[in-house]
Amino acid sequence: MIALVLGLVLSTYAPQQAGSALLDPAREARVQALGKQLRCPMCQGLSIADSNSSAARAQMDKVRELVAAGRTDQEIRDYFTSRYGEWALLEPPASGMNLLVWLLPLALLVGGGLAIARTMRRPVAAPDASAPPPGKEHAPADDPYLEAVRAELRR
Amino acid sequence: MNRRGLWIGLSLAAVTAVLLFVLAKGFGRDPHEVPFQLRGKPAPEFTLTRMDNGAPVRLSELKGKPLVLNFWASWCGPCKVEHPVIAWGAKRFGQEVQFYGVVFEDTEENARAFAGIPDPTFPQLLDERSRMAVDYGVTGVPETYFIDASGIIRDKVAAPVDPQTLMAKLAALKQPAGPVSEVVR
Repeated sequence: MIALVLGLVLSTYAPQQAGSALLDPAREARVQALGKQLRCPMCQGLSIADSNSSAARAQMDKVRELVAAGRTDQEIRDYFTSRYGEWALLEPPASGMNLLVWLLPLALLVGGGLAIARTMRRPVAAPDASAPPPGKEHAPADDPYLEAVRAELRR
Repeated sequence: MNRRGLWIGLSLAAVTAVLLFVLAKGFGRDPHEVPFQLRGKPAPEFTLTRMDNGAPVRLSELKGKPLVLNFWASWCGPCKVEHPVIAWGAKRFGQEVQFYGVVFEDTEENARAFAGIPDPTFPQLLDERSRMAVDYGVTGVPETYFIDASGIIRDKVAAPVDPQTLMAKLAALKQPAGPVSEVVR
């Protein structure tokens, strides 16, 4: 109960102004598609299009404003990354350091596959002619105790 | 070890080192912390309306004196705790630093009641649709920006500001700024 009251009092989710008016269907579809690519700063793993938080609504209004002003998708993404960094993008671009994260698992998979293939193709080593015959490998000739046991058995 | 074994060992060591580097870089960062990209960059221009007298306020006209911009909302609990601290700062340092509040995602009626309009303790600005707040990279409220006399964003606090922090940030505003780069508009 205390947690609920504190949550309501300290919460940053609250009734505020409504979002801006929707654009025509074609441009609004672009707004929603861009909103899906941008991360909500107050949420966990949600896009600004999927969040009802105040910050997400403010950012959606900004996307709408930039689309209405004729900005391209890339210009709008640049606008947000220049303020919030690549963190703002739900799917980081595959370039620079990010490229390593995309390519390394692939490289490891290919490398591992090749290593397994080579091991499986390698011929099994032929038995060594100098090795003792089966059953005799643990019988050194100079072991007096073993020789005594064998002598007893031969009797 | 033969030559092939040496190459395989070196390749594995290189891949492991790169993986460790990437992981260390990722794990060393709080995933919930939103990066602040505007530090050291010119504050984006704005023209907002003062809530007490309706006069327009332009950033370009505020240059020449350090500026503290405090983003708040009446529905934000921590803002209620912080507001008296900013009001104290405005009263104590108002001669040398300008203090402005900016309403974030709020109704005008609620904001007026919260800030004591028509007699606010420091000037309050209306930011329709929070356009200017997003221009500044605001992620929520309260957030306070510290802008030097030449209009460069020097720092921000994304939490309620206490008096010690406020004094430290104001003192830092007097230090020379580093290299400056432009912001994407």
